Amino acid sequence: MSELRAQLREWRAAVQKRLPPWWSRALAGSLIAIGIVLPFLFSSSSGFMNATIIAVTYAVMSLGLNVVVGFAGLLDLGYVAFYALGAYSLGWFGSGFFFKEHIHVLVSPIASTLQGVHLNFILILISAAIICAVAGALIGLPTLRLRGDYIAIVTLAFGEIIGVLAVNGQSVRIGSGGMTLTAGNLGISAVDAPYFPGIGSFSLLDLRPWYWLIFAILLVVLFVNLRLRDSRLGRAWVALREDEIAAVSMGIPLVRTKLLAYSIGAAFGGMSGAFFGTYYTVVNAGQFQFGFSIFILAMVIIGGLGSIWGAIIGGLTLGYINNYLIPDVLNGLPSHFGLNFQLTQVEFGIFGFLLVIMMVLRPQGLIPERRRRLELTAEIAAGDAQFMESPGTAGGAT
Amino acid sequence: MRPLAVVRRYVGRWGLIAALAALPIYYGISDLTNGYQAGLVAGHPLIHYDLAKLGFNFAEGLSNGAIWALIAIGYTLVYGIIELINFAHGDVFMIGSFTAVGLWGTLGLGLTTGALGLIGGLVITLIITMIVTGSLNVLIERVAYRPLRNAPKLAALITAVGFSFILQNVGLIWRGGSPQSVSDLIHGQQTVFTIAGVPILRSYILAFAVMVPLVITLTWFINRTRAGRAMRATAQDPEAARLMGINVNATISLTFLLGGMLAGAAGLVYALYETNIWYFQGFKAGLIAFTAAVMGGIGNVRGAVLGGLIIGVIQSLCDSRLGPQWTEAVVFGYLIAIMVLRPRGLLGEETREAG
Amino acid sequence: MSSLDTPERSAVAVLRAEHITKNFGGLVAVSDVSVDVPQYSIVSLIGPNGAGKTTLFNMLTGLYRPTEGRILLGERDITRGRPDVITRYGVARTFQNIRLFGAMTAVENVMIGHHTRMRAGLFGSIFRPPGVRREERETRARARELLAYVGLREPVFDQLASQLPYGDQRRVEIARALASEPRLLLLDEPTAGMNPRESQALTEFMRQLRDELKLTILLIEHDMKVVMGVSERVTVLDYGKKIAEGPPAEVRADPGVIEAYLGRQE
Repeated sequence: MSELRAQLREWRAAVQKRLPPWWSRALAGSLIAIGIVLPFLFSSSSGFMNATIIAVTYAVMSLGLNVVVGFAGLLDLGYVAFYALGAYSLGWFGSGFFFKEHIHVLVSPIASTLQGVHLNFILILISAAIICAVAGALIGLPTLRLRGDYIAIVTLAFGEIIGVLAVNGQSVRIGSGGMTLTAGNLGISAVDAPYFPGIGSFSLLDLRPWYWLIFAILLVVLFVNLRLRDSRLGRAWVALREDEIAAVSMGIPLVRTKLLAYSIGAAFGGMSGAFFGTYYTVVNAGQFQFGFSIFILAMVIIGGLGSIWGAIIGGLTLGYINNYLIPDVLNGLPSHFGLNFQLTQVEFGIFGFLLVIMMVLRPQGLIPERRRRLELTAEIAAGDAQFMESPGTAGGAT
Repeated sequence: MRPLAVVRRYVGRWGLIAALAALPIYYGISDLTNGYQAGLVAGHPLIHYDLAKLGFNFAEGLSNGAIWALIAIGYTLVYGIIELINFAHGDVFMIGSFTAVGLWGTLGLGLTTGALGLIGGLVITLIITMIVTGSLNVLIERVAYRPLRNAPKLAALITAVGFSFILQNVGLIWRGGSPQSVSDLIHGQQTVFTIAGVPILRSYILAFAVMVPLVITLTWFINRTRAGRAMRATAQDPEAARLMGINVNATISLTFLLGGMLAGAAGLVYALYETNIWYFQGFKAGLIAFTAAVMGGIGNVRGAVLGGLIIGVIQSLCDSRLGPQWTEAVVFGYLIAIMVLRPRGLLGEETREAG
Repeated sequence: MSSLDTPERSAVAVLRAEHITKNFGGLVAVSDVSVDVPQYSIVSLIGPNGAGKTTLFNMLTGLYRPTEGRILLGERDITRGRPDVITRYGVARTFQNIRLFGAMTAVENVMIGHHTRMRAGLFGSIFRPPGVRREERETRARARELLAYVGLREPVFDQLASQLPYGDQRRVEIARALASEPRLLLLDEPTAGMNPRESQALTEFMRQLRDELKLTILLIEHDMKVVMGVSERVTVLDYGKKIAEGPPAEVRADPGVIEAYLGRQE
């Protein structure tokens, strides 16, 4: 098995030597071009376009979680909280939900006659990003001094709490006159579709504008990610991830740097959450379950923890598998084998299985982060033993 | 973070106890002074001014807590020995419930079975279920965690989550997506006796009748047998244990076995108690039990039991006072508070994660 | 021992640790230790294993908080300082077990060292205005300069730190420490794992650092040749207490010191 791997590595190195230096830029450019042109290859309401839109949104979310878990190494198991907050931003600021208010900013002529708060979708994106950035920092705050597994549990707990708030929000009153925080499991429906002056309102009959919108969001988020990765902040995140004690000793401020990771990751999640809110045309509490956090985490891991392109690939892959491959293509597969269930029913078992396989066979993911090959040693952890506050441990004193 | 450090130092163990005691004390006082509604009499609310409701919260809470305690022990043992949160543990508990109910069917236990047959049948169910879940836990360790023993913790954690999902899906396929009711074999809601106005139900007695002997046996095992000593040694320092000739792999497997067995017992008790099983019960129970383990002090069996009982009481108080829709949020709120203010829990020792 | 370029050795102490005690809930790792490190000097901290040397270092850099005592950097009290803040004030260190960031290249590791002297924040990192771009270029160039200065060969500058040979890793760690433009450099067993020739080279290098970069150096060492060869003053710890201090020759002859070392061999 390892001979095969070595052989593959050799081939890859040989191929890479023959490529001109600009090959990665050309590849990226052509992918973007394909991305822009894609909708023209399909009918305007095809199932494949629907799956693609969802997959691209997942890719954005995956990029967000990649900042937290991949760059900064903070295991966040409650990422669904930001999906929820983003979607609720849309529900609050882009629908008739707050029916006592009459606020309209740059919305379609029809929407400007409706009750409620109606902001232009771009403004909603910005508010979702801000709300989630703040929430991300607040959620991250208690985890700053905790070790990996404990960070996981605390973030998971926060995710669940937000879920509870989403469900019970319908009994939490806001202002006067009967408005509540959320609509619980009934959901906030009749949310606005995006509207741009000159283009008009989106409609679900034509999926193309939706696609280009989320694709544009993906490009923006991708750009920010690339810039951050190769910056002072990006390096600081990796340093904290690799060796917190050394990082802090080199002058990296722990609190500020970690909170920025949470905030930025959360903001991206919020933006994609807002998009989902408008695309699914409803925001209800049932959409926000723990399983979703794991789903996004699976994308980041399968793609390659810390790798930007890996996160995108992971998001697209799982998005397609979940929304196209399993329900549309392979659903009948078990019946072919005489088994009495449909593939959609074992969806998350499949994801669980994928996670286990990935971790055991290729923990570095499909596209490993350029900077690291997930070293399977406990070297640094052993080094940490030196700095434990409890004495008397091996190597703990000089 | 300075103010936090100061708070932490002063919160200490007593601070945590005070925060926990605040709930029952507050409601106790409220019941005594403002009274509570104990029912309707001819259309009018019947107000009592005693501690019976609080007593009920404790009775129900401690019994629920006994179940959580059994599951929490599994988390705490595994974390103590390999520093891994066995995410799949709650789902092993769920499989335990499912197995137990399946066995009832096979053994033909039903509402009409006579007392002796019922007890015999349940004992057999208990033993078989424990063997099944124990082995399942050992299998998971062997397949998923052992290969990743030297990998970063993240990898093992993800694998644990993956397995949790796989098990949940097994449950989903086995018995469908909605909660399923099962026969109330022991008529758990029957009151056996009453103390100070608080009815003690059969299910309460069941919970303790199973938990107490198991915990005592486990504690004896850990403290008095060679294998138990090996477990303690490995938990303290795996390398040194290996050098002393202890078979670390076997010891770890043993730990998983014991944890799994207790989860299976909890599963059986849960099925008898709630008369209701659901593929998703493991996830919920897992989080609660983990909170209990952390509250008591991870790595510490007595802590896990204590934590379980405390959480059970908190849940009962929330359910009946704030409404069950908020209970989860309150329990997780406590979890977060513990993690931030006193990560080592009530009975734990200073652990490494404190910055 | 001194060259014509040695900066004026002044009586001003760059670092003064006063009556430092560290108690780990029962185990006293460091007990009433006072050290002062004059500017531009090279001071060695020696003692048998377990004497509390690294614990003292950790307190000097803010990783531990002293149970008692005070630490002054120049005029500034840094006793309760955060490690990153102390680094900003001019204290840099290396570690006993090399702690490089394995996922980054040698250059990137050294660039991290420069973190506190850079100003790019979140928006600067995203939008990269000309100032930020210049800062990045300069930091990268400076990092390469420092790597060359510590003797690393060019071809390995862009290799992942985890793949470098041991000696190179040690060099990178020093370069990384230097990148923060420190006044005081703390070296924790810098010659561990080196052969005599390499140790000699490092000794020379430490003097060079002090002279050319106007640094003050405090080092923990086990290699007596290095200690005797480079230090102006030696402080000896044993069981957490200071048992001797003074010029190398004096300390070497101190009976208490001899006993502490020899006595341990029983």
